[in-house]
Amino acid sequence: MNPSGKTILIIDDDADFAEALGAALEAAGFRVLRARDGHQGLKLAKLEAPDLVLMDIIMSERTEGFFAIQEFRRTPSLASTPIFVLSSLYDAVADFRVAPEAGWLAHDAFFSKPVDLEELIRAIRQRLGLNAAVREGTG
Amino acid sequence: MKILKLSKDKLDFFASVLQRFGEVHAPVEDNGEFVFRRLARWSEARLDYQRTILPLKKYFLPPRETLLEYRPGTGYVPAERDLEARLVLFGVHACDIYALNILDRVFTGRYADPYYETRRRNIAIIGIDCRPDERCFCRSMRADFVDRGFDLFFHDLGDAYLTIVGTALGDDMVLATGPLFSPVTAADIEEYKRRSAGKRAAFRLEVEIRDLPEIFEMEYDSGIWDELGERCLSCGSCSVVCPTCYCFDVHDEVELAGNGGRRVRTWDSCLFSTHALVAGGENFRKSRASRIKFRYYHKQRGFVAEYGRPSCVGCGRCIAACPVGIDITQVIDTLRGVLHAGPQ
Repeated sequence: MNPSGKTILIIDDDADFAEALGAALEAAGFRVLRARDGHQGLKLAKLEAPDLVLMDIIMSERTEGFFAIQEFRRTPSLASTPIFVLSSLYDAVADFRVAPEAGWLAHDAFFSKPVDLEELIRAIRQRLGLNAAVREGTG
Repeated sequence: MKILKLSKDKLDFFASVLQRFGEVHAPVEDNGEFVFRRLARWSEARLDYQRTILPLKKYFLPPRETLLEYRPGTGYVPAERDLEARLVLFGVHACDIYALNILDRVFTGRYADPYYETRRRNIAIIGIDCRPDERCFCRSMRADFVDRGFDLFFHDLGDAYLTIVGTALGDDMVLATGPLFSPVTAADIEEYKRRSAGKRAAFRLEVEIRDLPEIFEMEYDSGIWDELGERCLSCGSCSVVCPTCYCFDVHDEVELAGNGGRRVRTWDSCLFSTHALVAGGENFRKSRASRIKFRYYHKQRGFVAEYGRPSCVGCGRCIAACPVGIDITQVIDTLRGVLHAGPQ
């Protein structure tokens, strides 16, 4: 089922989290793809051209997501695919305090885990142009 | 000068934040050798590497590049694609930074090369300590330490890096990473000095370069050049891997349909039989002996006259690459009349 016509790719090594998140997104009308690391995610994205990517940072390597985002950005067919980062990075690495808004991370939005699912789905729908009311509301 | 400290367990995050300043390239292992390459993940970086196969000149003076294109009607159009790409070269050894400083004298001096200059401006350099192996003689060539030519330089302290900030860009990198860096302590400074002395003592290969131009002058007609000419294959490997060999050739590639073409610059080598071939068929260096002699004289004598020091930095790449085992340190020692006991 894919009433929205949109595909979301979840890249996360936490299988339980990816499963739960995927189920919530499917319930919200999205088609969901899952990958357990950046390499697999990139490979899948090249094949499936998702409309949006949800990217973890700390995976098999704790900076994997950072580099994976760069890989997406330098792939022409994926360079403009929206990437939302979902990570517990700032809790897990206490002395890393460089905000994602500082311009070094080529992402579109950052959500700290645990993620508020309603807020996330609202943001996804807004980013994909599926929710005119929200878009107007946030200017 | 600002000197700070970065704990090694924060290096991966530092490298990640560096992506703000450009695509991060670092030494990675490839079939038992090392090459500088874009990192797809941090764990690919091998900061404990020995010399890479190719030096960094590949980034600043690519093996092949289109300088301009031409079309009927529009004329010449400079080919500037990729020139503005911003890169961060992470983990560059002192000798290779020294080599870039030497190339700067050639390509940013009286006859400035805009392609080289633009890349030099857009590519950040982060240096890192190394340990000499049996082919390193950079200490003899005064290239085992650099005080410029890098944005940051990391000196190994064991569990941290003493970090020298070399430029305003380097300072921006430090500031962008927030609290990752910390001040150095007196103990850090002592450890730096201890390790620095240890590195100096670790060199096993040395050559004496004092009065070398004069020795070359005196030995211009030495039989060693003919002996080397007998061994040398003129393959050009030594100049391809040399971080300061910069000879290039320029030629036009005209499209067969006659609707334009491009002007291309490619690496050349003074070892190649066509290097001194000129119009009319005259070749000023027909023999292999004359070509290898030219290479030695240019690097060890001509460059000294022009720029005040040899262009060799003692990286050892030519020793590693030569298929017939010609060793520059042995050549120099032979010229000096020194019996060489180095590695074969």
